[in-house]
Amino acid sequence: MNEVDYIILPCKFMRCPQNRILLVNEVGEYLYLTEEEFEGLASYQLEPDSRIYYDLKSKHFLSDSERSLPSQVNLLATKYRTKKAYLRHFTSLHMVVVTLRCNQICNYCHASSKDDTARSYDMDVDTAKKVVDMIFESPSPSIKIEFQGGEPLLNFTIVEEIVKYAEKTNKAKRKNLSFVLCTNLTLINQDILEYLKKHTVLISTSLDGPKALHDANRIMRCGGSSYDKVIDKLKLTRAVMGNENVSALMTTTNNNLGNLNQIIDEYVELGFQGVFLRSLNPYGYAKTGHNEKLQYDMDDFVSAYKKAIEYIITLNQKGAYFVEYFATILLTRILTPFSTGFMDLQSPAGVGILGAIYDFNGDVYPSDEGRMLAAMGDSHFRLGNVKRNTHAELFYSPLLQKIIHNSCVEIVPSCHSCAYQQFCGTDPIRAYSQQNDKNYFGCIPTSEFCKKYKQIISYFMDMIRENDQAVMDVFWSWVTRRKYNEVRIK
Amino acid sequence: MKKIVTKIEDNRMLVTLHKAFYEKLAIMSAAHGLTDSFVVMVEPYDEEYTAVYFEPKKDIQIVESGLYEAVQEFCNRVLDEQLRLDIEKRYGNIRDMIVKQAFAPVTEAQLSKELSADPGNKK
Repeated sequence: MNEVDYIILPCKFMRCPQNRILLVNEVGEYLYLTEEEFEGLASYQLEPDSRIYYDLKSKHFLSDSERSLPSQVNLLATKYRTKKAYLRHFTSLHMVVVTLRCNQICNYCHASSKDDTARSYDMDVDTAKKVVDMIFESPSPSIKIEFQGGEPLLNFTIVEEIVKYAEKTNKAKRKNLSFVLCTNLTLINQDILEYLKKHTVLISTSLDGPKALHDANRIMRCGGSSYDKVIDKLKLTRAVMGNENVSALMTTTNNNLGNLNQIIDEYVELGFQGVFLRSLNPYGYAKTGHNEKLQYDMDDFVSAYKKAIEYIITLNQKGAYFVEYFATILLTRILTPFSTGFMDLQSPAGVGILGAIYDFNGDVYPSDEGRMLAAMGDSHFRLGNVKRNTHAELFYSPLLQKIIHNSCVEIVPSCHSCAYQQFCGTDPIRAYSQQNDKNYFGCIPTSEFCKKYKQIISYFMDMIRENDQAVMDVFWSWVTRRKYNEVRIK
Repeated sequence: MKKIVTKIEDNRMLVTLHKAFYEKLAIMSAAHGLTDSFVVMVEPYDEEYTAVYFEPKKDIQIVESGLYEAVQEFCNRVLDEQLRLDIEKRYGNIRDMIVKQAFAPVTEAQLSKELSADPGNKK
């Protein structure tokens, strides 16, 4: 049989359950083929008037002829630019560690916090101003300053200094400036809240579920429960700031892995509209010997995550609007043509170019994980210091350029041919720290990172392929930020 | 008919692939995907064939039938990898054209039109 004269446009393919072949192109459009259809495509035998030919053509997997190629390349380039829009403006998220001191001693603490009397770990005014000057060197028209710790309320005067100086600087720079305070809430009071409200500082806190689960991980440094304090202060915070200006994060440990539904119920009961089911980071106290019992196999996390998603889907179908934030990011990537900036899963990696972190002493790292690694004794990812280096020396350094270059999925062995490329990303810092790869690629077949994300993406892709309307409507409600009933076809 | 997989000793399997059909890059790529469970060695077999040896890693418990299935899986993977290479050779330049054009300078008007269509950019 003669070959049909068509051009296969750039795409990746993957064999899936039920003898289906998944095709994903360079802009994230996807199509499932039968083996027979795939064989026909690859051997240039597809009939030009067949349904599958039209499907492939409409989703830019093939082009009729050389003549129609330029217009398709033009369209794909526009879509590609849209998908990669997060690269357009360089660093917008700037995390500032105003102190390493903390009044809690959480058993998984990624930040390796210090005793709440250790004032030598506080940022000083001079450093804070230099940090702000450096932040405003970023070409990004949007600047988000996120205060982290330790517990930033232990050095609140520096938070105020930074807000004041950033607002003053921004009068000339005229950027879209916003602030987030990451706090355990236990030290917050009416005066602080009034200040935060006045300066539109959003609040992000930590809540690991109901009292028993929360207190199993998050305890006060002086001993005892933190849960009741957090709940009391959450009520006060919402009363002053409004519900929509306070969000919460949880961390999954072996203590709560089997109880994710209870955590979700707690979030729903407290009026949150979503949860981010975060796995444990292999840094800080979570990695040290005495807390090995917090860790779990990644397969167990993925299994628990899937059950939790099923539970959340059911809650939505019963009328609640409640999202899982990571699922929403992935589904936005899969179901829409739009860009989603998410530092932890990006290609090239978001480190340094989407976000950066400034330690209490002015040291700059491309991500919090780089800083955590330095706290554990390996300062490989330290880009420099705001008091000694220029913006160009920090953000155009050979180190950051190498990290960014080597964190593009297209050149990472095994990622290079993966069909999930457009939905996934890399973690060069984890590749370095967990797999000792000085080139930051990591060994994907043995990578926990790949194990986690490949299974989770497969889970969502399988559901999308099954196309159960009641499930898809929940997904669309998350992506479009509307209630399930609003997206249902009546 | 030539055997696809040959057992050469306990827990050690050999696959030979004809060089006329399988390139080094395709073989390496497929072999890399199995390095979580196997020690894989690739070397010339003779002038026409490439040899790929598989041995389970020390900490991997695997029965002979499981080892056989995994090596068969490799054979299919290498076929897919070669297909990817063949398509890449034929039309890989199109991807370069798309990326080049996507990152080429655009007018402010074009950009703001694209940005306004993206709900992620709306407050």
